Amino acid sequence: MNENFDIYEVFSQKNQSSSFAHQFSLLAPNAEIALVMARENFLRRDQCINIWVVKRDQIHMTSPEERGNLERLDNKSYRETKGYGDLQARWRKHKEAYESKQQPNVREAGER
Amino acid sequence: MQAEMNQSGLTQTISAETINDQQSDKMEAFLSRIDRGERIEADDWMPDDYRQQLIKLITMHGISEIMGALPEKEWVPKAPTLRRKLAIMAKVQDEMGHGQLLLRVAEDLMAPLGKSREDIMQDLFTGRLKFHNVFHMEAPTWADAGVIGWLVDGAAIITQTMSLDSSYAPYGRALQRICAEEKFHAQHGESIVLELAEGTDAQRQMLQEAITRWWPSLLMFFGPPENGGITSNQQLNMRYKIRTQTNEELRQAFLTKYVPRIFHLGFTLPDETIHFDEESKMWVYQQPNWEEFKQIVKGNGPRSAHRLNLREMSYEETKWVRDAILAYGRKVG
Repeated sequence: MNENFDIYEVFSQKNQSSSFAHQFSLLAPNAEIALVMARENFLRRDQCINIWVVKRDQIHMTSPEERGNLERLDNKSYRETKGYGDLQARWRKHKEAYESKQQPNVREAGER
Repeated sequence: MQAEMNQSGLTQTISAETINDQQSDKMEAFLSRIDRGERIEADDWMPDDYRQQLIKLITMHGISEIMGALPEKEWVPKAPTLRRKLAIMAKVQDEMGHGQLLLRVAEDLMAPLGKSREDIMQDLFTGRLKFHNVFHMEAPTWADAGVIGWLVDGAAIITQTMSLDSSYAPYGRALQRICAEEKFHAQHGESIVLELAEGTDAQRQMLQEAITRWWPSLLMFFGPPENGGITSNQQLNMRYKIRTQTNEELRQAFLTKYVPRIFHLGFTLPDETIHFDEESKMWVYQQPNWEEFKQIVKGNGPRSAHRLNLREMSYEETKWVRDAILAYGRKVG
């Protein structure tokens, strides 16, 4: 049967704010039937506003050997917000220094 | 296994040993991935016995979902209310959907061996492929439909929750979808059971009879106890982290969850000895007849032949539909 039916990968979009997410795969003779089966097989309950089906052999993927190279090196903090965790404290220091300088003026203003 | 290479005029022979070394390197890398808790994908290298174990487990699981729809399907036309009819229809449809998911996972594992869904179906019809003992049994009353949902699906949730952490990633992903729906099935069953338990004497008696009828099958569901000696089959599945708990551990979890509830409703079990032993923290219970279990899963259960015939008939009678959509599919691409 698989010799004749194609494997389709199914993606669906929950709402307009969400990206398409992979659901699963199914066997179908063409895209039209794959779309019908996608609803029957995977979307009986979940909310969904759009479905994609893609023939698996049309998807190009990273080979198992290359997947190891996808791993992030651990020295990329300059690309991430967590690499800038000191900012809050430094802003606070400046704010406090400024405010303490302002204090005498405020008092003077009050005395006048 | 010998391969010859001709390199710069010299004939080098790669001995079987070298190839074995390469295999054992791969095996070592595979096992350390398993040990690190990494999960394996369909196109990753895997040892043959890992692939075989998965094919056996997942085809059996997938076919059980499909065969499991049959005893409940009998109750669709006879459901007592429209809401119950809609709910049990939804459940039957879910079970077929679970079968579809799992067969896809199995097919991807079988593809490198040149096998397909057709082979799975033929193995089922010739009796080579087994399915769960519970789906060989009769469901003569509406209370059986309730007990199947409550306790059979309850038992399935316990094994499937364990398998969510399976080292084979595609199986884990299929089970995530399945477990979410099984929870609905169990609640659907609980709802039927509570309705009958809170009903008339006749309804309560019908439910008691169903519980009594299903009890041995429910104990058998998890497979024979290990009694200290874990089979090589189970050992392999544990080593490869395909499963993490033994048959008996799963059955104990089932008893802990469900025996008290059966008693809370005022029903009895066909086992006067059953009790929780505080010292060993284990349920002590009468063993079902394991010889009978073997016969049932071999296809000699009360409804085995009937349900297999039904499945085969439906497969043959719908062949023209598959042929037609295939012919149409080829035309439109």
